[in-house]
Amino acid sequence: MTKIKRLSEVKEGKYKVIDILKPGKLKKLSNIGILIGDIIEVIKSGPGPVIIKNKNTTIGIGYGIAMDIIVEKME
Amino acid sequence: MEEKIVAIVGNPNTGKTTIFNALTGSRQKIGNWPGVTVEKKEGYYIYKNIKFNVIDLPGTYTLTGESEDQKIAIDFLIQNKSDILIVVANGLNLERSLYFLILLRELHKNIIVDLNMVDLAEKEGINYDLLHLEKLLKVKFVKTVGNKNIGIENLKEEIYKRCKEPTSEFFIFNYGEEIEKSISEIIDIIKEFNLSYPKRFLALKILEKDEYFINLINFENYKKINDLIVKLEKFFNKPIERVLIEKRYGIIHGIVKETLIGRKKELKIEITEKVDKILTNNFSGPLIFFLIMFLIFDLIFVFGGPLENFLELILEKLKNFFVKSDLSVWIISLINDGIISGVGSVILFLPKIFLFFFLFSILEDTGYIARAAIVADRLMHKIGLHGKSAIPSILGFGCNVPAIMGTRILEGKKDKILTSISIPFMSCSARLPVYLLFTSIFFKENQGIIIFSLYLFGIIVGILSIKIFGSVFLKEESLPLIIELPPFRIPYWKNILIETWTRTKYFLKKAGTIIFVGALVLWLLSYFPDPNNYGGESNFIGRLGSFISPIFKFSGFGFWQAGVALIFGIYAKELVVGTFGTLFGFENLSNTLSIYFSPISAYAFMIMSLLYMPCLATFLVLKREIGIKWTLISLFWSLFIGWLFSVIFYQTFTFLTGG
Repeated sequence: MTKIKRLSEVKEGKYKVIDILKPGKLKKLSNIGILIGDIIEVIKSGPGPVIIKNKNTTIGIGYGIAMDIIVEKME
Repeated sequence: MEEKIVAIVGNPNTGKTTIFNALTGSRQKIGNWPGVTVEKKEGYYIYKNIKFNVIDLPGTYTLTGESEDQKIAIDFLIQNKSDILIVVANGLNLERSLYFLILLRELHKNIIVDLNMVDLAEKEGINYDLLHLEKLLKVKFVKTVGNKNIGIENLKEEIYKRCKEPTSEFFIFNYGEEIEKSISEIIDIIKEFNLSYPKRFLALKILEKDEYFINLINFENYKKINDLIVKLEKFFNKPIERVLIEKRYGIIHGIVKETLIGRKKELKIEITEKVDKILTNNFSGPLIFFLIMFLIFDLIFVFGGPLENFLELILEKLKNFFVKSDLSVWIISLINDGIISGVGSVILFLPKIFLFFFLFSILEDTGYIARAAIVADRLMHKIGLHGKSAIPSILGFGCNVPAIMGTRILEGKKDKILTSISIPFMSCSARLPVYLLFTSIFFKENQGIIIFSLYLFGIIVGILSIKIFGSVFLKEESLPLIIELPPFRIPYWKNILIETWTRTKYFLKKAGTIIFVGALVLWLLSYFPDPNNYGGESNFIGRLGSFISPIFKFSGFGFWQAGVALIFGIYAKELVVGTFGTLFGFENLSNTLSIYFSPISAYAFMIMSLLYMPCLATFLVLKREIGIKWTLISLFWSLFIGWLFSVIFYQTFTFLTGG
């Protein structure tokens, strides 16, 4: 089983952001402080908006954007 | 007196509003930016004999051309309308605020960074060496705790000093040799365009592929720039926007690391996390959401109702006072039937509006609204709206007026217009007397179900309107949801009271002036030419009623009294009941109505009362919030759809029952 998934598909836990697919979304997410390479914690998983903790902030992300965030499970 | 303009910007959740309130107190007013539906907040304070006009720019994370509020911020900044710019930053998340600062530095020369909420940051062991920060970023830093009024005097002093001796240099953030070379080449290409933006800012925006700015230059030139971009992307082996982001954050990480004093602890927000899990869970989330909405709804009525009755009593007393006075009959009628009834119908909204904004500000300040948006997003997404739209929509069942004013919490233009258009179809409390009157006469057996069906019908028409207008007129995408969930906190009362007061005052001022004219017109129509028969058939309003009544023949209520009742219902929907009372006499109202109406036409009339044009107060706030064009569209749409559905209902059921 591959460890690389879309953020919209994963369960609660710690993940590393590997890629953000659409340039527009990359810009939007970087403005709010989510960058490729960041370690994030999923607090609430999909379906519906996903809630993650990144650095000191908690951020809700709509399902449509979560689909374009590629993450890898941290051990 | 000398005047200076101070603009405030900042990310959401940095306490920007608190700083604005701390500077200006209650000397503020709200309005809209010209031509758009984004809220504009202004205030002033006087310091050392200079009047500082403070402008609160929309809270945003960045400056792109893609959203309306950001465009406002950019335009405001480049036209250099402000003498000084205050960037409010949050000590808990300095990286993000600095990222925004770097973008702002390309636009404005005279900047002060206000590091706010330093008490919270210090509690977490986070502290910054301000002098070092100032040296690295070449900008003044000030520490404040807005909600405790700490550092505000110092901030005022710094603003004063910087206004007296402004710096004249743009700060140049160095992106490295390769990119800097391209930036100069782009500047060379675009220099022939006489655009008001600083050249370097514009070059960066185009390099970032910001469509709004790309569209400002012609295609030929963009092709040249695009070649540059392709070359750069080949060099870095990454999309260029990603390179720029990483460069900026790279430097920022370095700066933050270098200036951080003390050890940064892992933040303890486990409790918040646990609460968040419950509040946003797919099962308990919606339950809590509806419970809270119900509670707001209930509180507005429990406290608003008696206050409203009290105001009504005062108006009654006032009317009595005039009846007993020696003034001539027509003046008494003008004052009582015209002005007091008309203006009163708006003033009676005040308690509910005040309570709504009060309760809403509390929810906002505690941080719940962000969670509510998450919960509602799944459902609202299906009808094409942003999660936050659910909040004003639900409150529309209480009263449409504060609900439409509540659409101010929505950032996207599309969400705002569509939500505002659908709200008038939510059965507000003023429709209830109409439903109660007719169901008590015609549907005694199943009053509850009939009333419920009308509520449901309104929701369906609301969704239908969103679908139609959303797909036909507003092609732009609804904003995707990315929302920060701030840590829960105890509401700050000063903020809540200022917010509530400013908004209520705004409603009163707007509504008060226009309704006065409207009330006069309606009175004239009802009083003349036959003063002894107020609102009767022999007066203009009766004639108007007779004139429009044939339209309603197909709906089963084509008589002039129904027309007059609907015209008066424009004031406030509950006046439909009162008008029937005046015209038919209150004693035999049920008997008379059952002569004029059948159960089918009564239901058709209720559909019409529910859907046809918003009441005067709703109309006024609609105009204010979404502009006259959309208000007129909403007006004609609701008239049309109300008429159409009442006809369809009447004809179908008459046919089915063999009538």
